[in-house]
Amino acid sequence: MPKDTHTCKKCVLDSKTPGITINAATGLCQFCEHFTPLSNEKKEEYRSRMDTLLNSPPKKGKYDVIFALSGGVDSSYTLYRLHKEYPHLKILAVQFDNGFISDTALENAQKFCDLTKSTYMRLALDQTILQDTFSKAARSKDAYPGSAKYRASDICNTCISIIKQKIIELAVSTKSPFIVFAFSPGQTDAPFVTLTKPFLVWMRKLFEGNLKAMGVAEREAYLIDAQLIQSGSPEPEVTIIHPFLVWDYNKPQFKKECIQLGWIDPDLKDHNSSNCLLNAFAIKNHLDKYHIHSYAYDMAALVRQGNMKREDALQKLKVDASDTSIEEVQRKLNL
Amino acid sequence: MSEILEDVRYFLKTEGFLNEKISLKENDSLTETGVIDSIILLQLVDFLESKYKIEIPVEMLTPENFDTLAGIDQSVLKLKKG
Repeated sequence: MPKDTHTCKKCVLDSKTPGITINAATGLCQFCEHFTPLSNEKKEEYRSRMDTLLNSPPKKGKYDVIFALSGGVDSSYTLYRLHKEYPHLKILAVQFDNGFISDTALENAQKFCDLTKSTYMRLALDQTILQDTFSKAARSKDAYPGSAKYRASDICNTCISIIKQKIIELAVSTKSPFIVFAFSPGQTDAPFVTLTKPFLVWMRKLFEGNLKAMGVAEREAYLIDAQLIQSGSPEPEVTIIHPFLVWDYNKPQFKKECIQLGWIDPDLKDHNSSNCLLNAFAIKNHLDKYHIHSYAYDMAALVRQGNMKREDALQKLKVDASDTSIEEVQRKLNL
Repeated sequence: MSEILEDVRYFLKTEGFLNEKISLKENDSLTETGVIDSIILLQLVDFLESKYKIEIPVEMLTPENFDTLAGIDQSVLKLKKG
C-alpha cells in the first residue's frame, strides 16, 4: 500500500480506491461521515410490513414466493428462516446455473429445498453463450457506469442482472406476488421494492445498454420478456423483499445454524463466496481494471452498520493470488 | 439552484458517487452518467419522501421523472403541491 494511502478508521474503504476520500481531520470516509443508523422504530416498521405481506399473500398463482437460491450461506439461511417464520408460503426456489457454481452449492440448494418443502428449479441458459458473455464482461471497460462498479464486479453485475431479470420474468408470468433475494444490508438499502411496468421497462433498457456496451449481440435471452411489460399488458403486482434488511445480519451465527442443518461449507479459497467458482477471478479482474475491490463497498457498509467486525472485513478483502480457480476460470473463458 | 436540487446534489455526494470531477447538468441522465443505479435511485426516493414528507407513487419511477435533476425537481414540486 502506498505511504499516503489512508483507510477510514471506522469502515474499510481507503483513499487509493477511486472516488473515496478520507477526511484528514476525522479520519472518516465520506460515507461514514454522513452515516445515520437505522432507528428501532424504522426496523419495527419494516418487520411489521414484512409480516403483513407474507402472512397473507394474495393467492393468484401456484407460488407465493419466487426465491433466488444460490446455495451459498446467505440464501440457504434465508430460505430456511422464511419457511420457519412463514410455513404456509409456497416457495419456488430458483438456482441459476451460470456454469461456475460449485457441486457443493448444488447439493446445498437441493438439501435446503427438501428441508423447507420448497420446489427446486434449476435455471440454465445456453452455457456457451453465457461463457462468452462473461468473457466479454471481463474484457469490457466501463460497460457499467460509476456507482455500479462499487457494488459488484463487471462479471458479477452481469450475472446478478441476468438473475434479477429472469426471476422477475418468472414472478410476473406465474403471477407470484413476491420475490425474495438474500442480499446483505451492505448490498441494498431498500427492504421492499414494488415493481411497476415503467420501472421494469427502465431497468430492462439499462441492462440492455450494459450488455450492448460489452459487445453482447444476443441479448434477449438475458432480459425480461418484453411482451410481459409492454403497453396494454397487466400491471406486474410483484413486490421484491430483502429480509436481511428486516432481520439481524449475523453471518457467523447463521452460518453455524446452517451447518447444524446440514449445509456444507465448500471451503473455497475465496473469502467472499461460498457458491461461485467465478468469483475470485471476477474480483481480481475488477481490481486490475478499476482498482476497486468489488466487495469493499458492501463490507464497508456492513462494518458501518455494526453487522460485521472491521478486522473480519479487512481479512475478507485480502486477495489470494494463489487461488488456482483464477487460472481455471481464465482458461474456461478463453482469456 | 432550487432547494430540492441542492438536497438531491447533497444526497448524491454523500450516498452516491457524485463528485467535483463530474459536471452534472440539470438535463443529464443520472443513470447514463453513472451517478445513480437502481439501488441508489430507491434510496433517493426514500430520502425525498422523508425530507419533504411526500409519498412518491411507484408509477412515477420513470426516466422522465427521475433520471434527471430537472425531472426530479419537477416531480417533487408537483407532489409537494399535492
